[in-house]
Amino acid sequence: MGGAVGELRVCLPRSEVGRVLTGNFSVEGGCMRIGFVGLGIMGRPMALNLLRAGHTVTVWARRPESVAPLQAAGAAVAASLPELATGQALVISMVADAPDVAEVMRALAPQALPGLVAVDMSTIAPAAARAIHAELAESGIDFVDAPVSGGEPGAIAGTLSIMAGGSETAFARALPAFQCMGGNIVHVGGPGAGQVAKAANQVVTGMGVVAVAEAVNFAQKNGVDAAKVREALLGGFAASKILENHGQRMIERNFKPGFKSWMHEKDLNIVLQTAHELHVGLPGTAVAAQLFSAAVAQGLGEDDSVAVLRVLEQLAGGVQ
Amino acid sequence: MKVGFIGLGVMGRPMALHLAQAGHALHVWARRPHSTVGLPAQVHATPAALGAACDVVFTMVTSSADVQAVVLGEEGLVQGLAADSIVVDCSTIAPDVARAIAAQLAGKGIHMLDAPVSGGVQGAEAATLAIMVGGEAAILARVQPLLEKLGQRIVHVGAAGAGQVAKACNQMIMVAAIEAVAEAMHLARAAGVDVGKVRTALAGGSAASRVLDVMGQRMVERNFAAGIEARLHHKDFGLLLAAARQSGVVVPLAASVGQQLNTLMGAGWGKEDTASLLRVLEGA
Repeated sequence: MGGAVGELRVCLPRSEVGRVLTGNFSVEGGCMRIGFVGLGIMGRPMALNLLRAGHTVTVWARRPESVAPLQAAGAAVAASLPELATGQALVISMVADAPDVAEVMRALAPQALPGLVAVDMSTIAPAAARAIHAELAESGIDFVDAPVSGGEPGAIAGTLSIMAGGSETAFARALPAFQCMGGNIVHVGGPGAGQVAKAANQVVTGMGVVAVAEAVNFAQKNGVDAAKVREALLGGFAASKILENHGQRMIERNFKPGFKSWMHEKDLNIVLQTAHELHVGLPGTAVAAQLFSAAVAQGLGEDDSVAVLRVLEQLAGGVQ
Repeated sequence: MKVGFIGLGVMGRPMALHLAQAGHALHVWARRPHSTVGLPAQVHATPAALGAACDVVFTMVTSSADVQAVVLGEEGLVQGLAADSIVVDCSTIAPDVARAIAAQLAGKGIHMLDAPVSGGVQGAEAATLAIMVGGEAAILARVQPLLEKLGQRIVHVGAAGAGQVAKACNQMIMVAAIEAVAEAMHLARAAGVDVGKVRTALAGGSAASRVLDVMGQRMVERNFAAGIEARLHHKDFGLLLAAARQSGVVVPLAASVGQQLNTLMGAGWGKEDTASLLRVLEGA
């Protein structure tokens, strides 16, 4: 990778790669030193896209085997979280839950350069994100909550939806990195606003998956070809990405994740906890969350969230 | 016996009075000193001081955090209670928190029973509460005479936390029943039928229940002054839905009822009766 004297190096948003560039741009324009924590199904392709765009990426993972594909692609590997923070302009985390995010961010703080922007792209509770914003602000670190939507295909293609919460300046600093990972990038508002948007996203997708699963189950129980039903519906007002993608996987009975059931269950419970605290009734979400809870209880937590179809099939007396 | 009581609200105050009237020396502590006015009791400056003066201490407070503070806090009961004394917690809190507090007290040789109650202010005043107890049978036997001054149906459900599990089940059934009655009243009214007559007719059949009787009457009269403040049911539903999730148990009806309670709270009726679930439907 770059860095050698005399080499022209420009970091570009993914949409610009391969285009013939004209006009003025500065040498090493937009290239950043970025630390990345959390190399799971989503994090790995996201970090790879940062590398491919020309950024200098250092990674850290709890399990050493997770870093191998990144190392092969040219990433540096840090031995610890404090080491990961050293010298970075931007640190990105993509982990499971709020306690993990807090732990990572706390470990980074002592080694952080002044003005470090820390970006968490995990899905956590808006209140937890706001608490981390406040805590990091005391260490002079500008935090952005920037959860994503689009799943593994979106992470690989670099077309994720990214919804960000934080200050204008921090968002502007992180934007070049976002542009390597996502297509639809929206600065929603102040601290926590990204997580609120993600919560709203999970409400729509959670109920959407249940709606498609109910329709597929209903068609099956009527002895009608669910694939044909899907095809017909895609032309009308029921058309959606979920009918298209999740519907297809249900028909193929492909339960490989994707986005795991237990994670969708976790996300919906973040939403419901917030709704409880804010005194907002979300009756549809509550029912959808129960079905995902049932999937987890039946041992389908590691399957894709389309496994909710199996819960409905069981309620209807099994598959015929 | 020297009996302590902490939590002198609408439920706790009549309960404490029943214990004093039975001839026990009553000791109290309250966050707000005026709560102790008019009680035939010795008032203490801290829960710890109260603990040092008592054989048995009852607590009747709002949340898991309140119980933890009163029992285990810096000036908590645990700092004053002697070994072999007994804490009886009548609050409604999370089963796992009840178990954790019992375990901590056991480390000091102090016994604990979780003994949440059902029956509301009426039941507390009339000493007709249902009391569901978790903890050791031998410890329950020692306080049984005290509990009999507070309630009629005292059931030893099981080990530590079991009382709180039973209370969670009680709340699931009760509030779902209030919602069912509210929906029925709403339907009757929308159809132009006299809701009072419907309630009277139903009371003779298979839909008869205490909730139809008491809450149904409040709905007919449109009397939403608390009985039981709805905010407490809202709190309980937060606890029980979390417990269900932890146990991997699916509770679709309770989940829906929990959302109706959220809406009720959002409308600002938290300090009024849970019969307000009717008003949630009317607003929808």
